[in-house]
Amino acid sequence: MTVSALTRPGERERLIVKLSEVDWVFVLVLCLIAGAGALMQFSIAGSSWQPWAAAHVIRFALCVLLMVALAMIDIRVWFALAYPIYGLGVVLLIAVELVGDVRLGAQRWLSLGPVSFQPSEMMKLGIVLALARLYHGVPADRARLSWWLLIPAAMIAVPVGLVALEPDLGTAMLIALTGTAIVVMAGLSWRLIGIGIAGALAAVVPVVTFVLHDYQRERIFTFLHPETDPSGAGYHILQSMIALGSGGLLGKGYGLGSQSQLNFLPEKQTDFIFATLAEEFGFVGCVSILVLYAAVIFMALRTAYVSHSHFGRLAAAGATATFTLYVLINGAMVMGLAPVVGVPMPLLSYGGTVILTVMIGFGLVQSVRVHRYAEVTSGKGSFV
Amino acid sequence: MTQPFFFFEEVNERQGVFHRRAILMGAFAGLGLTALGSRLAYLQLFETQRYEKLAVSNQFNFKLLPAPRGVIVDRNGAVLAANRPNFRLMVARDKGMDPEATLKTLADFVPLDPSRQRRLLRDINAAPRRSPVQVTEDMSWEQFSAINVRAPELPGVTADMGEVRVYPYGGAFAHVIGYVAKVNREDISSTGPNSDPILLHPGFRIGRQGVEKAFDLDLRGKPGAEKVEVDAHGREVRKDADGDIPATPGKEIQLTLDLDVQLRAEEVFGTESGAAVAMDCRTGDILCMFSGPSFDANKFVRGLTGAEYRALAQYDHKPLFNKALTATYPPGSTFKTMVALSALENGYDPATVHVCTGHWTFGRVWKCDQVHGALDLKRAIATSCDIYFYQCALAVGPDKIAETARKFGLGEIFDIGIPGQKAGLVPDRAYKKRRFPKDPVWHPGETPSMGIGQGYTHLNPLQLCVMVSRIANGQKSLHPRLIRSIGGVEQKPGSDWGDLPVDKGHLEFVREAMAAVTTSGTAARVADLGLGPIKMAGKTGTAQHYSYGSGRGVHGTAGAWELRDHAWFVAFAPYDDPRYAIAVLVEHGGFGASAAAPRAREIMRTILLKDPDVLKRVQNPTPLPELPADLPDEGASPPVPIEIQPPPPETAT
Repeated sequence: MTVSALTRPGERERLIVKLSEVDWVFVLVLCLIAGAGALMQFSIAGSSWQPWAAAHVIRFALCVLLMVALAMIDIRVWFALAYPIYGLGVVLLIAVELVGDVRLGAQRWLSLGPVSFQPSEMMKLGIVLALARLYHGVPADRARLSWWLLIPAAMIAVPVGLVALEPDLGTAMLIALTGTAIVVMAGLSWRLIGIGIAGALAAVVPVVTFVLHDYQRERIFTFLHPETDPSGAGYHILQSMIALGSGGLLGKGYGLGSQSQLNFLPEKQTDFIFATLAEEFGFVGCVSILVLYAAVIFMALRTAYVSHSHFGRLAAAGATATFTLYVLINGAMVMGLAPVVGVPMPLLSYGGTVILTVMIGFGLVQSVRVHRYAEVTSGKGSFV
Repeated sequence: MTQPFFFFEEVNERQGVFHRRAILMGAFAGLGLTALGSRLAYLQLFETQRYEKLAVSNQFNFKLLPAPRGVIVDRNGAVLAANRPNFRLMVARDKGMDPEATLKTLADFVPLDPSRQRRLLRDINAAPRRSPVQVTEDMSWEQFSAINVRAPELPGVTADMGEVRVYPYGGAFAHVIGYVAKVNREDISSTGPNSDPILLHPGFRIGRQGVEKAFDLDLRGKPGAEKVEVDAHGREVRKDADGDIPATPGKEIQLTLDLDVQLRAEEVFGTESGAAVAMDCRTGDILCMFSGPSFDANKFVRGLTGAEYRALAQYDHKPLFNKALTATYPPGSTFKTMVALSALENGYDPATVHVCTGHWTFGRVWKCDQVHGALDLKRAIATSCDIYFYQCALAVGPDKIAETARKFGLGEIFDIGIPGQKAGLVPDRAYKKRRFPKDPVWHPGETPSMGIGQGYTHLNPLQLCVMVSRIANGQKSLHPRLIRSIGGVEQKPGSDWGDLPVDKGHLEFVREAMAAVTTSGTAARVADLGLGPIKMAGKTGTAQHYSYGSGRGVHGTAGAWELRDHAWFVAFAPYDDPRYAIAVLVEHGGFGASAAAPRAREIMRTILLKDPDVLKRVQNPTPLPELPADLPDEGASPPVPIEIQPPPPETAT
């Protein structure tokens, strides 16, 4: 295919061309990470595809198909659906507050017939799309420093507040940080960033004291001193660090991690799967996985970088930010650097929700890549 | 792929800012990942050893196995406390099991009525998770194997073989040996913060009384351990037989007691309350230490029901009490031996004659059982004349009597290994001063009481046995010994304590007087061993428990049991070659000669017949003793049967 062929009008609309524009190296790296996840889930199930590994592989395969399918969707369609998705997300979050199922003490799930899902997951995508849409038609000076910034601030605050009420602190924080990342990348003035950081730090003490639930507070204090309560709240962190540390340079060998095989490691197939990998494959295995994650982040950011539309740039960067936050928060938690929050390691952990969320996000990233030259109309009056 | 050129002309401020910020975000992500990598390097490369240790201690557990408890044997090796296998059934609460349904299933194998099931269910739910609760023990082999076969389908159920303590002679040794029982909270807290983990083992039993308690640590042995790999819930994943540590069995403890003698003592006491202590008066070995009535120690191992315990605790014969050590009684006339000896030691002329008219006035009127007429010291001992000893005691004084009594071990606590001895009291002027600050003077009227072993004087049967042993030995300051060896290590013999600081001639005088007691004195017929040339010398005692004057006390066997006098008999045999000494107390037995002496005689017979030298003399009485002319023919004088004999008139107060 020549440059001239690609510049021919309509040429980029052809499906085969679109498919060729998908970043297949990126897809390969995702497959490697998900494959490592399946490998670990096979190991901790006692060398069995059941109950996790098989489901993980099937889900991931379906999600790859979904991602490619989403990549085919024109960026302008995403653009048009941005506000509706966000709006629907807010409505569903309100609905969850009113009629949601209570599971494990938190009201996070909404049942629609046989299907139940968490609207907060949808919001992770919704906030990215809506903010990218909002900033698309806004000049740089407004995005930098103006009263207009109250609008994106409110758009972030509403879903964050609703999710925090469920309560789902991890997701609320993720949505807030994703939204903030987009606002920052859209050109927020450094002075405001500085004030924001200072304000956030100042808010830590009152929030911890007055807003958090007891179990949330306990998690934070335990994180600071895990050894004070090794069998209680500090158990997760301590066992995870034992798994990591005892893995050493090369690990104990596949299927031989005593911490994970004998259930000392809690949530070993979901939130703490990284510790399982660390125990069985050691430092070498861990660093390999981190390099793969770095590659994913780099490639997704590059996609954002080359997009010609502001919407595309911010949407791809936002989706990447979500993914990056997942990796960093989970990694810090597993390594005893952060309190235990229910944030899984994307693609590695078992669990359909996170795979779906992340892969839809990457579908958006790939759509941005495939349609990076597309002309997106200004936001003005284009509410479809 | 090269980008079409013209698009870059549209580079605007927004795009420029975004590009810079995107690079920053990439840098931020890279920084974050690098931080994670550094943390990993720290944990996995520098701290590995520490976490490896923690992982191993997570992975392996040692399951304690109690060691077989040391056996307790008598002086000839007869087993007095042993262990027998015990098939136990235990249920622990755990995830994924229903204790109620489990118990219902188990009821098909072992008898478990619904009320017991309910009680067990409560215990199981109250116990911590995975800590087993005993459902039943002493299952038959068939029940045990049936449950073991089904075990995989019954989560939380374990059937194992433990050991349980067994006392083959039930009550005979219960007071000396004690018993074992379940560990309670105080046992754990009393051993301090680092209590022995074996205490928490469900099959472990701790010594509660007597030898079992005093030598608990020796008997325990060292527990072994079974190395098992466990998962996070403490469930066994597999066993690692190579890592097992074998248990070291507890030490064997040999007592100086003799099984036959002890059983004979139990037999002759029947349902009577009292104690018998017999010693080898050459070595100090205690051959018999019985307190009656006794209790079945095996029931204590199993655990008493509330009703059973109440029955034992409330019975007025006090079966839970070791009367040989823990109870003190006025020694009555047996104390006259000490008064006489003290008199001799302090220059009293044994030929001094006092006349007994049945009463004697000293401040008030003092009485005697009989009218003995004119008596010298020896005759006064033989007939146990109170009036003679009132005056004899006055001549010597309380301090001198007490001094002599203490030389014979009265009022002393001996180190025999087991706890529970009460010192009793040998009073003197200093005691009176110390104890009664309001009336610190020893009044002359208190001395006659002391002279016949009444008043403040209180002693335990072991002390009286030591006293008579020292009189019989005549040389050494004998100490009693109950524990012969621990784990094969011989303990210090009772003859290793130096000489008795008393004139040998005076002791010989007292021994002769005691011989007169059994030949022509208060115990003339009741103490006849019926062993030909082997004779026993002794001293009776009838100790007043309640004052007769108050209208409560009863002399002899008339009246309510708890108001009667205590009966004593102390003796040694053979008279001409003292080897064994005995002290028998029958609580509220009435008269020493009728209640205590026949029992002492029977126990002494058993002892003597086990001594080969004595037996030889009985069977071949070579140096034929001159026949006493006035002796009635031997067949016509059977030993006095216990209890039925009417009380011969005699003895103290």
